[in-house]
Amino acid sequence: MKQTTVGGNKRKAANFLAMLGLIIIFVAYMFPFLMVVINSLKQKRDIIKSPFSWLFTIKGLSFDNFVKAFNQMDFLNAFKNSLIVTVSSTVLVTLLAAMLAYYIVRNNNVISKIMFALMVASMIIPFQAIMIPLVSIYGGTLNILNHRATLIFMHTGFSMAMSVFMFHGFIKGNVPIALEEAAYIDGCTNSQTFFKIVLPLLKPIISTMVILNSLAFWNDFLLPSLVLTDKKLLTLPLSTYSFYGTYSADYGTIMAGLLLCVIPILILYIVLQKQIIGGVVAGAVK
Amino acid sequence: MKRNVAARVIASGLSVVLAATMLTGCRFGFASDPDDPNETVEEQPIDTSVDTFTYDLSLSGTSITLLNSKAEIQVALEEMSAVFEEKSGVHVEVMPVTDGDSPYTKVVSLYNSGNPPALSILDTTDVIALAEEKAADLTAEPWTAEAEDYLTRVNGKVYSFPLCIEGRGLIYNKKVIEDALGETFDPESITTLDEFTELLDRLVEAGIEKPVSLAKEDWSLGAHHLQYVYETYDGTSEGAADVIDMIKNGKLDLESYDRMDQFLDMFDVLKEYNVAKGDPLGADYDEMAIDLADGKTAFWFNGNWAWPNLSEAGAENDDEYGFLPYFMNNDPEDFVNRQIQGSPSKQIMLDGQMASEKEQAAAKEFLNWIVYSEIGQQMLVKTCNVIPPFKNNPYEPADPLSRDIYEKVQAGEAFNSSAIVPNDHWSVLGAAMQKYLAGRSDREELIDTIQEYWDEQE
Amino acid sequence: MKLKHKGKDFCMFALPGIFCFIAVVIIPFLYGAYLTLTDWNGVSNVKNFVGLKNFAGVMKDKQFWTSLLLTFKYVIVVVVLVNVLAFAIAWLLTRGMKGQNFFRAGFFTPNLIGGIVLGYIWQFVFSRVFVSIGEATGWKIFEVSWLSDPGKAFAALVLVSVWQLSGYMILIYVAGFMGLSEDVMEAAEIDGASGFVKLKNIIMPLMMSSVTICLFLTLSRAFMVYDVNLSLTAGAPYGTTEMAAMHVYEKAFTSRQFGVGQAEALILFVIVACISGLQVYLTKKQEVEA
Repeated sequence: MKQTTVGGNKRKAANFLAMLGLIIIFVAYMFPFLMVVINSLKQKRDIIKSPFSWLFTIKGLSFDNFVKAFNQMDFLNAFKNSLIVTVSSTVLVTLLAAMLAYYIVRNNNVISKIMFALMVASMIIPFQAIMIPLVSIYGGTLNILNHRATLIFMHTGFSMAMSVFMFHGFIKGNVPIALEEAAYIDGCTNSQTFFKIVLPLLKPIISTMVILNSLAFWNDFLLPSLVLTDKKLLTLPLSTYSFYGTYSADYGTIMAGLLLCVIPILILYIVLQKQIIGGVVAGAVK
Repeated sequence: MKRNVAARVIASGLSVVLAATMLTGCRFGFASDPDDPNETVEEQPIDTSVDTFTYDLSLSGTSITLLNSKAEIQVALEEMSAVFEEKSGVHVEVMPVTDGDSPYTKVVSLYNSGNPPALSILDTTDVIALAEEKAADLTAEPWTAEAEDYLTRVNGKVYSFPLCIEGRGLIYNKKVIEDALGETFDPESITTLDEFTELLDRLVEAGIEKPVSLAKEDWSLGAHHLQYVYETYDGTSEGAADVIDMIKNGKLDLESYDRMDQFLDMFDVLKEYNVAKGDPLGADYDEMAIDLADGKTAFWFNGNWAWPNLSEAGAENDDEYGFLPYFMNNDPEDFVNRQIQGSPSKQIMLDGQMASEKEQAAAKEFLNWIVYSEIGQQMLVKTCNVIPPFKNNPYEPADPLSRDIYEKVQAGEAFNSSAIVPNDHWSVLGAAMQKYLAGRSDREELIDTIQEYWDEQE
Repeated sequence: MKLKHKGKDFCMFALPGIFCFIAVVIIPFLYGAYLTLTDWNGVSNVKNFVGLKNFAGVMKDKQFWTSLLLTFKYVIVVVVLVNVLAFAIAWLLTRGMKGQNFFRAGFFTPNLIGGIVLGYIWQFVFSRVFVSIGEATGWKIFEVSWLSDPGKAFAALVLVSVWQLSGYMILIYVAGFMGLSEDVMEAAEIDGASGFVKLKNIIMPLMMSSVTICLFLTLSRAFMVYDVNLSLTAGAPYGTTEMAAMHVYEKAFTSRQFGVGQAEALILFVIVACISGLQVYLTKKQEVEA
């Protein structure tokens, strides 16, 4: 009895310390983001002269930057383009990677091993090294640049390796083969087993991968800038180009534009966080 | 419980968005404040009533792309292309080179994608690198006569259209100097390095502790400062090319080249009076504009492209800003102490490889329209706010920096010399200059590094 | 997976993913590798076979080897810091404390800021915030901007990378912790295992797959660091913080030596592949299957 109390106090103290440490680190992590939020409401001169000044002491604080960013970016059209590209690529890569990873984990044959090794190795290829070859193959030879579908296909291909890698680790560590064997005994086919038994178990990693991949697609700049040149097809990050000058940048508008770009992703994250938890509850292996 | 947290986060997020939407209509500031630096500069009206340019009607309906690497005129070029399309029926799509890409990288990737732009705005070095392989010969174009002194030739042929003149030197804020010294300031009165140093000393006495802003950026140090060494050889581009050849093949020893030492004499003075002397590599570019506009400093080494920064910092079109030369010695007769540097910078190259004949003709018409039509002339100067290299263009730039260069060019007080250096010159030697600026290397080491750089060039 | 319809299963499960991957990554990569053996400059119409001449150019490029050495230093520090920090934070965030969802969202924000804005904000922190702290306190370490001193600029680069990468890795470690079976943890609790013992004998082995992934990701990202390098220091002061990936890019496009740049990229790839291959091999051996 007595011992439990002591232990409890100790635990409480430890929890408190952990919480305190967490809050300190948390503030350090959030700081740059807060800076973006605060400065997106200021004019350039104020941003440079007094970046930390509290919002209401500054004269001329306004949402002008947001209005300007919204208009100059042709926000709604760019938003639509980004949405189409991001959603399609994310769905495609998540599904294909989960299936491929499942195949590799459950079929330990030569092809699996080679493919997996190749994918792991490919994650190290510097993008700059394949940039020019990529455009000369897809543009010069096949001439299929400047289509959303091409960008979606490339996004899928480029994030395939990492997604497979992540699913591979998760399936190996967290999906018990016993469940699948039970499913086969019940007469399920391979694809039924995968979609009905395995996929639901993958919810936590799917949520994680959806977040990571959609974030990468949503914010990607280099690849879309190589593939898309037609103005009507530009994605959100590409549409902020006009805020950057050769010798100066319009910081207020850039930050406002950045916030306009990331708000959808932040919402997605908050929504999916529930899914990650729900996934664990629903898929609890008992 | 957990659900609640998430719900609360979303709810509070939504309420912020809601509040933001509601507040968009009203501002916290003073919208009509004359000093409001964010207020957009009033656009100068373009008079489109007179247009004597003859358009080739057969080209109507053609569509060409213009790759723009001068981001600050992106919007202006779009306006120009809209007017041109209305008049000629030729559509010019203005494609920006986006942040993070160099113009050269973008052009290379576009050529590889099999879809190069018909027209590309590039730096002179890029044009020279691509000219004979990709560009159309423009030697016979009529506008070459109007810009004779500003053409870039590759083996005797013209492959590019000079879009604008840019000049650099020591930007001064006249009002700050006059207020500090309590007397009128005549920029012409300073003709030697000693006189300049004396002026700085007087400013220090008058309370401006460190009167000079000196950018630490490698493009400023490596290109805009260091290239004086070549460009002041005799003040011509040919001379600059000659001196570079001599340095490369060892005929000229940098150690004994007088301009090298003279350049560093001036640089040392700027270094000494640098507002960020305590931490020269920690200087902030955007802050320099504000310092100059506010009068914390009196000089800023830069070019006329700095006007948007100054304007954002609160400078007005009728304020008195101008350029002093980069003083290099005490001989008042030496042109370097009398003249500032001004030469064509951005060039438009026409693709001669993939573009069809019709596209090439449309592109040529667009270039001629800029030079010869009343509207094109106005838009180049007023909408794009650049200094035109064409003699027949009667319009004058509006901002004080461009105006000063324009007037100096007209009055023959500018030397037109641009050194053609390898593309990594600014980055490699910019780093060496940073080291010197920070006091981590001496003259000898800096000169050695420069010599080494040239020795490695083929 | 039953091993009945082998070919059909392969076509359905594996082929689509493999096709995308090969078409987009492998083929351009092989083409790029071929280009290192030619004198192609990125624009010309002719490509002449020049053998290993570009690789000889790499050997002569002193700056490349300097930057590679610096990259090694950077990778070691970053990999250790990122993983220790992310693991610890993820562990704290999965203990069911109040507001952990809110915290998770907060730790995620570094991922939302990229490119030039990230560089600008941090430049600001190092050259303005720190300097004004230095002025107020008189602390020598904050006297001048970190970005103007080679050693401190390197530290700044490490700090920002850790900040950004750990935000990403926290996410993966959190997923790993959430995947831990409650039963195992409860059983450990009942057996009286606590603190360090629990961490070492029960949590670590089960978390090994997450560790493998995170180590690998940090390793490869740190080796490939480009964005942060460019937007924060751009190699300044005077070229002392130029990492390998940035140097490769500069070589190919700023110095216009496309073949040499491409060859350097290839060499960088081989080095990183060997190192991370070794890491994956070693940590995979520690993994246990559920």
